[in-house]
Amino acid sequence: MNRKSIILLMTGLLLAGIVLTVYQPVAAAEATPTPAVSKKALLVVSFGTSYADTRAKTIEATEKTLAAAFPDYDLKRAFTSQTIIDILKKRDGIEIDNAGQAIEKIYKDGYSEVLVQPLHVINGEEYHSLLVELNPYKEKFAKFSIGSPLLSSHEDYVAAIKALDKEMPARGEKEAVVFMGHGTHHPADAAYAAMNYVLQDEGYTDVFVGTVEGYPTLDTIIKSLEAAKIEKVTLMPFMIVAGDHAQNDMAGDEEGSWKVILKSKGYEVETVLKGLGEMKGIQKIYIEHAKAALEPAGEEEAAE
Amino acid sequence: MPKLRWNPPGKKKPRNNQEFGIGNKGKGTAAPFLYPYSHDCEMKMKKLSPNLVIALFAAALAMTSCYPGVTVEPTAAPVVTTESITAPGATTEPETETAAAAIQFTDDMGNEINLEHACQRMIVLYSAHTENLYSLGVGDSVIGVNSTSIYPPDAATKPVFDYDSDPEKVIAANPDCMLIRPFIDRKNPDFVAAVKKAGVTVISLYPEKFNEFDAYIQKLGLMTDTQEKADELLKEFHQNLAAISEKTAAIEPKKTVFFESTAVNCRTVTADSMAAQALKLAGGINLAADAEAMTEGSSIASYGVEKILMNADKIDVYITQRGAMNAGDNAHSISIREGFDSVKAVRDGRILEINEKLISAPTFRFYKGVYEIARYLYPDVMDDLESFRSDEPITRENLAAILVRFAHKPIYVTASSKYYQQEHSGHTYGLFTDVAWDDPSFDVIETAVLAGWIEGKTNQTGEFFDKAGSVTRDDFAKAVFLLGDYERTESHTPIADLDQVQNPKIVQILVDNGVFQLEDGKFNPTKQLTVNEVIDLLNGLNP
Repeated sequence: MNRKSIILLMTGLLLAGIVLTVYQPVAAAEATPTPAVSKKALLVVSFGTSYADTRAKTIEATEKTLAAAFPDYDLKRAFTSQTIIDILKKRDGIEIDNAGQAIEKIYKDGYSEVLVQPLHVINGEEYHSLLVELNPYKEKFAKFSIGSPLLSSHEDYVAAIKALDKEMPARGEKEAVVFMGHGTHHPADAAYAAMNYVLQDEGYTDVFVGTVEGYPTLDTIIKSLEAAKIEKVTLMPFMIVAGDHAQNDMAGDEEGSWKVILKSKGYEVETVLKGLGEMKGIQKIYIEHAKAALEPAGEEEAAE
Repeated sequence: MPKLRWNPPGKKKPRNNQEFGIGNKGKGTAAPFLYPYSHDCEMKMKKLSPNLVIALFAAALAMTSCYPGVTVEPTAAPVVTTESITAPGATTEPETETAAAAIQFTDDMGNEINLEHACQRMIVLYSAHTENLYSLGVGDSVIGVNSTSIYPPDAATKPVFDYDSDPEKVIAANPDCMLIRPFIDRKNPDFVAAVKKAGVTVISLYPEKFNEFDAYIQKLGLMTDTQEKADELLKEFHQNLAAISEKTAAIEPKKTVFFESTAVNCRTVTADSMAAQALKLAGGINLAADAEAMTEGSSIASYGVEKILMNADKIDVYITQRGAMNAGDNAHSISIREGFDSVKAVRDGRILEINEKLISAPTFRFYKGVYEIARYLYPDVMDDLESFRSDEPITRENLAAILVRFAHKPIYVTASSKYYQQEHSGHTYGLFTDVAWDDPSFDVIETAVLAGWIEGKTNQTGEFFDKAGSVTRDDFAKAVFLLGDYERTESHTPIADLDQVQNPKIVQILVDNGVFQLEDGKFNPTKQLTVNEVIDLLNGLNP
């Protein structure tokens, strides 16, 4: 038993002592003291969207699928975008917690086990901010687990491609699908280039992923389209929700939208406004990540 | 020092009393088709008359120096005042009042404003004030603005100030005047008091109602010594509005409109608001004409989902106001509201998103907002192309006007105050060196270019549009391709000169789809088009 385990054990004993002390009078007053039931919460964290239609199809659908996979857990929701939380409250009277509020409520409601599954695509800034925000709660629960974002291992990339394959239109000769990812200044931006690499590796030479705010840019993707002599492009969002970015930056009618840029270069362009969150295969990856998070830490090491 | 939000390429950082780059150059030459944004509304940029300033200043000096000697007759000073400044009472004041400033008026906080000379170093903390000062031709007297002052585009080059920061920042810039609105007095009285205490004249203006607009503009004219320009602009403004309302008055049947001012509780506007006035002038019937103000004096009025749904069949057009004051819902988020599929306008896809700057801000652009609503309500009448007919070669300027009308495309308005802090691929709104913001064709050119229909050009000094430039079949092919959705065909018509066209893919698809006819097997990409050829081709696109 190493030192850390001893400290943990002692802390645990101490906490148990406190709990016992506090609850003793109550317990004494009751005829039969009820044994503490382990309450479990599944907290699904997403950026959020103010559009009710796409919210139902993407975020809510993913939440429901996750909840069904973890029937012992109570489903809790949090959004990370305060702007969206504020709009929904003011306009629609819908109250949604941010991550900090949600975890605090879970704690106060006496849950002993918490499983957090973020619906992030990459291990970027938002994901890391969430980790920092949740960190103080790590020790407050008997079990506290956090699942990883969509693209966290090579297997994830391959699984994501399989999921996309079921949703993409069939491509004829000189036709391609271009996904629009968000992109970021965070080092995790490299995930999008990696996705292109894995696509090529898996034989999808007519499927590309570009980003709005990172790399690869659309210009980079156009070079690939030209090299492949593509004439028709179907644009799809590589984002959980088909929200503002998909509607404006991808499929909008103003200069600078990917549709207009590609059309002005002579491509025939179609757009599919379907968020990743709608795709069963993508939802399944999040379930796998949540399950993996529950596996005891150090198991891999033990297996070696 | 406050950070500049952007410096347009090829443009010097504007300094006080220096010629400023964008706003006042290249006044629109009278092209044959100024419509739809002409209406003779050329906001000519006129400089402060230097003679007048000197005269005023001398008069003020004379008055000041004479003050201690109480015996001086109060006759010399008012000469200037009667000439051009309608300072009330200045000519007939008793001698004890001879120290009275050359410019006097009461602002909207009820404060007596006394200025010895026109404001020359203004810090302006409301975007409509900024815009109006530019319209009056005194943009270069503005030394600082609030962050939402991005129109005209030159305003976005000014240092930024705000009323939530340390007043010392304002004071350190050494303004002679700070122009605000009563909202700021109420929101941050300490800030306003501190600036006043430092000797800066603080002027607080805001026209609450449409019928207060003229008086408000006249006060801006008074404080900047541009009354003549103010009167001239007001005259044009009312003529423009009258022209639109005359045109729409004749149209039958009239469209019934619901105007949504906030998405929260589907609020509308009061009958005396600028927006309700716009509906009226544009020939719309306001469904909520009897809606009552939320609070005394507010232009926001309650309405609600229930009443909207009760009148679902009557609403021909649904207008939603969007902007900084109220983010507002867009056409999509309105259409997915519960029960809204029963609203006629939603069923017909007749939802107009209009920027609040065009419709609810007290600026001369208001007539453009009225015009935009009229276009949306009565597209066939307002966007008619027949008045353009001519066998003359079409210019790029005319092509822009024709395309915007043909597509019934609302004019482009920058929605985000961060617009100039962001990078834009392609053209940046307002940066054409040859299309000033007060050019009659400014809106159609910006809209057509930002839609990708026509490309801008660049040279050493930056972006330019080349209004008088000709339009080739090649240029027009690209615009047509972007206007519609064309599919590739199985077999291709051979085009003998395909290797000479700018974009072979586009031309091949359009020829295969029968949009463009070949001449002796050739596309003739460099051949110039006439106005009639363009109109006929566009009309052919409609089924």
